[in-house]
Amino acid sequence: MTALAIDDLKANIGKVPVLRGVSLRVEPGETVALLGRNGVGKTSTLRAILGLLKRTGGTASYNGVNLESVAPHKLAALGLGYVPQGRGMFPLLTVKENLTLGLTGTPDPEIIADVFRRFPRLEERLSQPAGTLSGGEQQMLALARCLVMKPSLIMLDEPTEGIMPKLVSQIRHEIDEIAKRGISVLLVEQNLRTALRLANRVYLMERGTIVHEATPAALRADPSTIHRYLGVSL
Amino acid sequence: MTATNISRVALVVFAGLLLAVPVVMPMFVSPFWIDIIAEILIWSLLAASVNLLLGYVGLLSFGQALFFGVGMYGAALSVIHWGADFWGGLAVGIVAAMLMAAIAGSVAVRLTWHYFAIITVVFSLILYFAAMSAKPITGGDDGISFSTPKVFSFGDLELSLADQSVQYYTILLVVAACYGLFGLIVRSPLGVRFMAVRENDRRAALVGINVYLTRYLAFVLAGGLAGASGALFAFFGRYASASYMFYHVSGEAVVWAIVGGAGSLLGPLFGTGLLIIFRELISTVWEHYLFVVGAITVLVVMFAPRGLAGAWSDFMKVIGRNKPAETPTSNPGLSKPAADTKLGG
Repeated sequence: MTALAIDDLKANIGKVPVLRGVSLRVEPGETVALLGRNGVGKTSTLRAILGLLKRTGGTASYNGVNLESVAPHKLAALGLGYVPQGRGMFPLLTVKENLTLGLTGTPDPEIIADVFRRFPRLEERLSQPAGTLSGGEQQMLALARCLVMKPSLIMLDEPTEGIMPKLVSQIRHEIDEIAKRGISVLLVEQNLRTALRLANRVYLMERGTIVHEATPAALRADPSTIHRYLGVSL
Repeated sequence: MTATNISRVALVVFAGLLLAVPVVMPMFVSPFWIDIIAEILIWSLLAASVNLLLGYVGLLSFGQALFFGVGMYGAALSVIHWGADFWGGLAVGIVAAMLMAAIAGSVAVRLTWHYFAIITVVFSLILYFAAMSAKPITGGDDGISFSTPKVFSFGDLELSLADQSVQYYTILLVVAACYGLFGLIVRSPLGVRFMAVRENDRRAALVGINVYLTRYLAFVLAGGLAGASGALFAFFGRYASASYMFYHVSGEAVVWAIVGGAGSLLGPLFGTGLLIIFRELISTVWEHYLFVVGAITVLVVMFAPRGLAGAWSDFMKVIGRNKPAETPTSNPGLSKPAADTKLGG
């Protein structure tokens, strides 16, 4: 069964339509990148899937469950993780509190050990307010917080944005590791090289709709499409 | 001595002073001041109920007087009609206030910001007028009086609120228990959820927190605190009146909480203490003393937005920075013992 199926999804911000019929698929264990220039509707697509943006048409289903009828606080329990743009930390809460916030009961020691093995900096800063961490550390915490909830799909919104270059490769490595563990990933990314390196499949967006679908290899071989929709060259 | 240790010592000294009030205070001032301190302790619970909502969940309620009034009548009516003792009356007052909060909260916490503040005022006004018009039961504006029940009896030993010291220590015990429970809650996973909802309710929902349920629980618990305050006040005055359900009583509690420091456990106690002592000292010589209370509130909001407790905390941080670190750490003041920071098994 398709992990995430989006069909003709439409949404407005106020009266302005921002999504004009987005359709995409994420299969189990697959990493899919959603690319496009600023303001084409990538973040809005993620927000509409989660119900944070009011959907005006179309459907979004996750493992066969129509997300229309699912309250936002139940998405995590369904296995749908989300790391928003800007990391979505609770800056006044400690690292430990941020990590365990969504859990009911005692954290799974194996998962916690795994998270600390991947992100040893977090273990060193457990009692520190999350707002005092660097951008890269906050991104690690956001990923770790998602992982402790045992998701089967993670939606990542620009995970390498605003992070110092030496930490970008670590974040990229961790996303790759997440995918290798069979967790599906829907990645919104401005960094084309990062997206092409991580993704199995790529969607290009323009003006609130999907305009192109390709494998990374096919897109690399098609510089005119890259230039037309992203305004850059590899 | 580190800033944390100074705060701990200050807290122990403060607790010691509260315990010594009935013994030491009459040596220096009129015993009347023992009752004033007891009154501060009682009212501080109403401010604490505002604090639980405003400081920990981010909801500004102008309706806590409703639950104060329900707690007051729960205690008074249970003594009058059922012959309840102090503890029975207190329990009825708290449970009645929590039930009322459970009913009002089921609607109120669906709203936030000014809509929430307005609906809490509306609920408060509806019940205020209902209580005023149900004179045969509530006594309306005149209220109802009752004789003081016993607090404890064993053989020939009988402790009654008629004794000023027994009354003071009974109030201190109940108030301390309420603050202890409040502290346990805000340090528990539920308290962390309260703060996450306060910081960003959408983010909180996306990590799996049921924002409505979290706010609802806080509202009911805050109702219980306000109810405990009302029940204690009924026993303190041997009296219950619908006039205490009016929203200006809620407004005063909001001011006490803000001046003391919303978001800190004991802040509202200090805010209530400062403003009630101020009232007692100034109101006898100047009837327009509320102008000064307003000025104090404005100054606190402008120059110490986290209230007296926040100002104390900032002062302690300054002291901490000026002192050479005893044990060098990368993050002084934030480190906790390793046992506190372990996760999982």
